[in-house]
Amino acid sequence: MPDEKIRSIDKATLKLLEKAEKEKIGTVFSRADEIKPCPIGVEESCCKVCAMGPCRLPRSKKGEAKERVGVCGATIETIVARNFARKVAAGAASHSDHAREVVHTFIKTARGEAQGFAIKDEMKLLAVALDFGIAIEGREIKDIAMELGEKALKEFGKQDGELVYIGKAPLKRQELWKRLGVTPRGIDREVVEIMHRTHMGVDQDYKHLLLHAARTALADGWGGSMISTDLQDIMFGTPVPVLGSINLGVLKEDHVNVVVHGHEPLLPELLVVASRDPEVRKMTEDAGAKGINLAGMCCSANEVLMRHGIPCAGNFLQQELALITGAVELMTVDVQCEMQGLKNVAECFHTRLITTSDRAMIEGATHVEFHPEHGLDTAKKILKMAIENYPNRRHAVYIPDESRDMVAGFSHETINYLLGGLFRASYRPLNDNIMNGRIRGVAGVVGCNNVRTPHDSAHIAMIKELIRNDVLVLTTGCAAMACGKEGLLTPEAAKLYAGSGLAEVCEAVGIPPVLHLGSCVDNSRILMAATAMVKEGGLGDDLSDLPAAGAAPEWMSEKAIAIGQYFVASGVFTVFGTTWPTSGSEKVTRHLFEEYEELYKGMWAYEPDPVEAAQLMIRHIDKKRRALGIDKARDRVLFDMAMRRALD
Amino acid sequence: MSDYKYEEKEDFAGRKVKVLGPTYEEGKPEDRGDWRSKLGSREDALRYIRTAMRYWYSKEWYGSEKRKQEA
Repeated sequence: MPDEKIRSIDKATLKLLEKAEKEKIGTVFSRADEIKPCPIGVEESCCKVCAMGPCRLPRSKKGEAKERVGVCGATIETIVARNFARKVAAGAASHSDHAREVVHTFIKTARGEAQGFAIKDEMKLLAVALDFGIAIEGREIKDIAMELGEKALKEFGKQDGELVYIGKAPLKRQELWKRLGVTPRGIDREVVEIMHRTHMGVDQDYKHLLLHAARTALADGWGGSMISTDLQDIMFGTPVPVLGSINLGVLKEDHVNVVVHGHEPLLPELLVVASRDPEVRKMTEDAGAKGINLAGMCCSANEVLMRHGIPCAGNFLQQELALITGAVELMTVDVQCEMQGLKNVAECFHTRLITTSDRAMIEGATHVEFHPEHGLDTAKKILKMAIENYPNRRHAVYIPDESRDMVAGFSHETINYLLGGLFRASYRPLNDNIMNGRIRGVAGVVGCNNVRTPHDSAHIAMIKELIRNDVLVLTTGCAAMACGKEGLLTPEAAKLYAGSGLAEVCEAVGIPPVLHLGSCVDNSRILMAATAMVKEGGLGDDLSDLPAAGAAPEWMSEKAIAIGQYFVASGVFTVFGTTWPTSGSEKVTRHLFEEYEELYKGMWAYEPDPVEAAQLMIRHIDKKRRALGIDKARDRVLFDMAMRRALD
Repeated sequence: MSDYKYEEKEDFAGRKVKVLGPTYEEGKPEDRGDWRSKLGSREDALRYIRTAMRYWYSKEWYGSEKRKQEA
């Protein structure tokens, strides 16, 4: 290694990085050593929206207070806010284009035109149909699904009115959004409008720009992401608790290893089906392998883990390392978070890198395009390519030992069920335990890995600090995988790491202190769980009243900014680590960190130290507990009639 | 019932009492905790949606939002 800095807290990662260094294979870690972040770009003090620039407007090194404006006169506030809004647009577009693909496949499934797909979860279909105002009495499942698919598709291009799912938010929150004029209309419309407003010479008031950034982010959280989650649940099943395993040790030397990487679960679902096909199994045996070992990477991993218990090879920063084991015959990639560096690593081994989405190719990779009409055939074709590649291993295989058990599959519906069973399913026990103080509050810790922060370290330090202080953690994405590797996603973790109050509740219910809610589009499940807590009663009447906070301590992608922005606009105090993309403007940063509290009753914060960030969240939770009057233990007083009369 | 294990403990008065021990099964679960499959028919599913998921689907129950006008 070029220096002594810690790369990761995960032993498997360190072992494979050592192998990469010995074999002189470049990875994201070595590239990060060679490329330092641009000091102007890191604070977003650069404008390149027209050809009169780019205009670089860094702060004065001498600390002089000089006016910073671009050639066109755009202020640093406008420039920083525009850059921030464009990140929100890109993130919202990514989740929502994923959703669009899911809706297209859903419609084809309803028509019977999607090979290998089916409507697996009729109960969820009925519930979502009710959300969309679809008549269900006496109608066949296929008809309901068809109408739902068509209505869901219209959510993207809606020009007026509001998204259907906005009606699921707490009433007070809906009123606040209306008052601020940020209730989202069509998902595509809001994204397009950001691109227009941030064009040269359009919206040049940073507060006005950031209002629309909130509206677009809400179109993601309460639109695109929620549609993805719900329609995927209908097609593949709403997640229920399932035992899985995680880390690079899930790869098997004597098996054909196929890693599914990316975000859309459409092809991965069919790869699961195809891997059980007798013809494919026979072919595997003939190739001399003991079987096919499907393993996930990034959010594709979360999707197949939650629904099938398929093992998870790792999170974002481990994608190249999986190939460096020399044991991966084939890796499929669809969309989002796939490093182009995979191609070079794959070339060092026998691994075939397969791109599968019509929206994403990688130069030099093999493209096998997925279309739902013949999806199962495509899945079988891909597996056959992997099997044929098994005899081509040309390096000694090295698979680290590390892998751990974990429990995933905590959809908001499953949490509701676990807290009361079929007869009394309810969020009441959770609310009661927050009110009585056993649970201090709830935190959503989500997001990516970032090579500028030691891999997984900030997730784990923050989450351990939170649960030690009796804060129940809901997690998704790469954060969830970090927790799995650390052993935080098993019920036994409550005894080891949680405060006594949280541990007691976890033991009674039989749940881990950190609940895995899914992939990054499944942050919509966190919104639903929080909304259920509000609607259950006793913890205020808006999301911003809850003793709750959000965080993405190792964020990296524009999607994370979109997620953070919809958390904040939904009333959640949200802390990001690693770096902060508006530091070029004090006014914009103050607006997001302080003035947002007046507007949304939720605001952003930046704190790179994960333990201090956890403390910020705990202080916010305690502030909300005080506001609710549940900050002190009180004796239970039984009121007699005289005391009741005295209340008036 | 005969499979249940009991532990002997002292009550508040110091008397020996038998209390029910852990009731969970040893080992790792092999199957998913598929609670949704218990709801077989469409009627069962709809009843569950309207009661258990009352936060969004019940017309008579509003929790913290009772008596409020719709937004």
